[in-house]
Amino acid sequence: MRESGLRSFVARRLLLGIAQTVAVVLLVFALTEALPGDAAVALAGDQPDPARIAAIREAMDLDRPAYERLADWATGLLHGDFGASLASGRPVARYIADGFGPSLLLAALTLALLLPLGLGLGVLAARHEGRLLDRLVSSVTLAVYAVPEFALGVLLVTVFALKLAWFPPTAVGYGTDLLAHPAALVLPVLVLLARPVCSLSRLVRAGMIDALAAPYTAHARRYGVPGARVRYAHALPNALAPAAQQLARTVDWLLCGVIVVEALFVIPGLGTVLLNAVAERDVPVVQGLAVVFGVLTVVLNLGADVVAYRLTPRAGVAA
Amino acid sequence: MTARAPAGSRFLLGAVIVAVPLALALLGPVLAGDPGPRSVSFTLGGGHWLGTDFVGRDVWQQVLHGGRTVVLTGLAATALAYLVALPVGLVSAVTRARRLEELLMRPLDVLLAVPSLLLILLVASVFTPGAVGLALLVALVNVPDAARIVRAAAGEAAARPAVEALRMQGETWWRVAVGYVGRATVRTLAADAGVRLTGVLYLVSTAAFLGVGVAPDAADWAVMVDRNRTGLMVQPWAVVVPAVLIVALTTGTNLLFDAVLGAPSEVPRRGLWRLRLLRGWSRSSPRPFRGAAEPFLEKGRRVP
Amino acid sequence: MSRETDAVVAELRDLRVEVEGRALVDGVNLRVRAGKVVALVGASGSGKTTTGLALLGEYPVGARVTGEVDRGGGGLVGYVPQHPAAVLNPARRVGALLGDIARGRVRDLPRDRRRRAARERVVEALAAAQLPDGEALLRRYPHQLSGGQQQRVVLAQALLLGARVIVADEPTTGQDALTKGGLVDQLAAVAASGIAVVLLSHDLDVVRSLADEVLVMRAGRVVESGPVARLWSAPRHEWTRRLLDEHRAAPRGPAEVRQPVLEVRDMTATHGRTTVLRAPRLSLRAGECLAVVGRSGSGKTTLARCVAGLHRDHDGEVLLDGVALPRSLRRRSRAQLAAVQYVFQDARAAFDEHRPVLDQVARTAVRLRGTDERAAVEKASATLARLGLTGDLVHRRPGALSGGELQRAALARALLARPRVLICDEITSGLDTVTRRGILELLGELVGEREDLSLVLITHDLDTARLAHRIAVLDAGELVEQGPARQILTAPRHSFTVSLLETTAQLESGKRVRATT
Repeated sequence: MRESGLRSFVARRLLLGIAQTVAVVLLVFALTEALPGDAAVALAGDQPDPARIAAIREAMDLDRPAYERLADWATGLLHGDFGASLASGRPVARYIADGFGPSLLLAALTLALLLPLGLGLGVLAARHEGRLLDRLVSSVTLAVYAVPEFALGVLLVTVFALKLAWFPPTAVGYGTDLLAHPAALVLPVLVLLARPVCSLSRLVRAGMIDALAAPYTAHARRYGVPGARVRYAHALPNALAPAAQQLARTVDWLLCGVIVVEALFVIPGLGTVLLNAVAERDVPVVQGLAVVFGVLTVVLNLGADVVAYRLTPRAGVAA
Repeated sequence: MTARAPAGSRFLLGAVIVAVPLALALLGPVLAGDPGPRSVSFTLGGGHWLGTDFVGRDVWQQVLHGGRTVVLTGLAATALAYLVALPVGLVSAVTRARRLEELLMRPLDVLLAVPSLLLILLVASVFTPGAVGLALLVALVNVPDAARIVRAAAGEAAARPAVEALRMQGETWWRVAVGYVGRATVRTLAADAGVRLTGVLYLVSTAAFLGVGVAPDAADWAVMVDRNRTGLMVQPWAVVVPAVLIVALTTGTNLLFDAVLGAPSEVPRRGLWRLRLLRGWSRSSPRPFRGAAEPFLEKGRRVP
Repeated sequence: MSRETDAVVAELRDLRVEVEGRALVDGVNLRVRAGKVVALVGASGSGKTTTGLALLGEYPVGARVTGEVDRGGGGLVGYVPQHPAAVLNPARRVGALLGDIARGRVRDLPRDRRRRAARERVVEALAAAQLPDGEALLRRYPHQLSGGQQQRVVLAQALLLGARVIVADEPTTGQDALTKGGLVDQLAAVAASGIAVVLLSHDLDVVRSLADEVLVMRAGRVVESGPVARLWSAPRHEWTRRLLDEHRAAPRGPAEVRQPVLEVRDMTATHGRTTVLRAPRLSLRAGECLAVVGRSGSGKTTLARCVAGLHRDHDGEVLLDGVALPRSLRRRSRAQLAAVQYVFQDARAAFDEHRPVLDQVARTAVRLRGTDERAAVEKASATLARLGLTGDLVHRRPGALSGGELQRAALARALLARPRVLICDEITSGLDTVTRRGILELLGELVGEREDLSLVLITHDLDTARLAHRIAVLDAGELVEQGPARQILTAPRHSFTVSLLETTAQLESGKRVRATT
């Protein structure tokens, strides 16, 4: 019964994921269509000389009808062909390949540290509910939860890189091989971790407190199950489902955070590529990156939802 | 306020923290005098209390002017988001027509797939939104999430026997939907509004930091942080002061709302916990747990 | 049963539990003997649960405890709560806690034999709790078990613990006779195996058939105690007399034959794609009381909700005076709404917690009878007073009223519409004996008072059904039998009704035969 429920849930969720992917592709494409007036003129921006306008028109096939361009672009996407940059003429896929490494490194490091930190802090606070340690953890997580990465990052840089000189202030000069310079990664990962750790630990804390106060936990204690086992084997599983859901949400935050952190620490990842393209109005690059980010979000969300579904405790009685 | 001691102290802490940036944001432009002549970039002293910025403007003057956009854009975006989310969520929770509910909620599910900052950057790559455009955009990315919370909170209230009893008494749709369901959800929504305002402030200032919705030399705290970074070594005040103000604004708002709405005895911790749960689901999950552990997502139907 | 097991295994002496200066229980003495069942009876709030939990070594937060609690040295006390699902961890498989308990029991064995021994003990305990296919069950989650299985798993936990005393807190409340019968058998088997059972209950039938000794509690004190037979035959205390006062009405004869006011024709109701109810033909005559009896999940509530217009997914017709009623409430005219009224099982959930009760009741008259605001409040006051709610109470919000009081208010709210048909859906199932009897008497009077009022009683309980002129029996969504109450209660035709009646009769007479394992 549980298995078939899972299967039908995954099927429904997959359908939505596909719809979302299609919607992302359409939305991204529609944006260029939404340009007021002549798209080529609008995109040429500050340098509206006829040659450049003609070049843009040529590069984007603006003379052909929209649906044909959409069909071509979408077919290209399926084959990994994202078109070519307006600014440099290089294939968009190259941009993505170049920026992928540093971004993936940042995201993976953050996720790897996020789980133990978030769960640990949450359980710690819940165990000391109402006492000084809990109030401290709760207040700090509540406060830091709301702080934008750029503000936190700039303050950390001022203190730890400029005043104390413990870490380099930016990753300038290290290229894409960041793993060889771990000191340069400390502050960016710290900034990326701040928000997700706070929200995750708050959720785990709340879930643990509820679970520790639940009749089933009292029942396990009543029958002599040792305290640590009650906490980790019986109470904690009930706090995991919301945490897994929160991880899905974190995917969105991580993508936003990566963009900001890369800009702040001058890390040549996807975020930097995206920001440069936005500044230069390099529409094909923006479109390509948006599709990559969008699909990534859809896929990761899907995974997290399935995990959360699997973990969610169910109440009630079988018929 | 009837809050217990920790919540009370947290309320005070939040109020104090948020008071400074809020006062500066709202009163600053009134207090600020004549901007005065420009001098050399990134200097300290020389008649400038906090030194000068990247183009030689007085930093204190910039600080006085730079909070208003963040605060006003944030408030406007939050209000706008609810203006759309409230009717959509309430109608889809109360209606018995499945089709209408799907029609209202499904498009929002799809919109949730796009990371919020990405959507803003996408639009910014094509248009050049001003402050109003930014407020609209931020409101737009908040609508799906807000509508879901309204729907979930109202859906739970609408499934209570009290609603059936009211309908049995022949009460009008309005009286049931607004008088009972609306009232029952006010607390949850107030708590959500607090969390949402914090998120909106985050998004608005981050967008400004990345150069969306503001002029490159605007008097805006987030823009100041971005543009004055190059002089961080020589003139840290031009970065640190606006950064601290933004931290104080977002942190203070969150602490304040949490203390007001989270802890008082009348709304047990459960209320906020449930809200956080709701928020936890919100990214693009298609009402995942139908008929499972969260029966309040399913409305109007009772198992025999 | 051997007498040598009569040793005292736990004892409370002069127990007093006080919270914020108020005594929850005071001066309670209780002896628990091996192999015996001792029952604590009393209305809700009488201190039963506090006393029972004291045996488990548990007290309310901030309680001051005086007196002696002797939990028989080891303190191995098992607990079977009213809702077994509450003590089963929803996020863990059934085997998880059982495994942990078993591990504690095999600690003295050599390390390499522990795992196997623990597993064997778990399976043994499940078998002893009448769950023979235990192995398969261990891999399931609580929500995948039926209510009965959940209850047995909880019992198995206590048996596995090696408990010498088991405290069972209201184990039969809200259950139908067949489920109750099974539970009584099971607890009897537990006692027969030498374990002491402390039964906290306000279900007197169950107490009578199961208990050896009874303590009657009121307001935290034991007002009377003694062997079960003596208590029933010669109660000494006035309160005991009132509590045990059976006063079971004989089944009513048929009402005068009048025109049918309500008819159900060819009804097939569905939830999603599952059909949950088939009722080809059912009618209700003016001034008649019809009881619809069935176990939980039999479709009786769905039937009521279809008639009331609260459940739209059905075929077939509901005719009022020969005219078909619209399926949805929204399509029903004011007169039609007023004609068929519904009283909900959970009275507290059926009121708006923010508005005074009187205002909410009065709205019926405003909306359905077109009365103006002031007259409506007057009428509401009068009706509430007739149902026993007077004075300041009705001006308060629902939170200030007890469950029984709210149920009376809910009845008043429905009656103010001057309904032709009043549907009562298990309206007494959450109430204690004394309160329940009060409400049932009230319903009986109402049918007599208002000639044009017909009553539909939805119930799992044949005792309540005695109030009715006619009875319809539902089983697994099928209408298996209907007829005059006297005939159904004395000469049932369908096998399901027969078994339901037999179990009820055994419980009532207190002669449920103790099964032995």
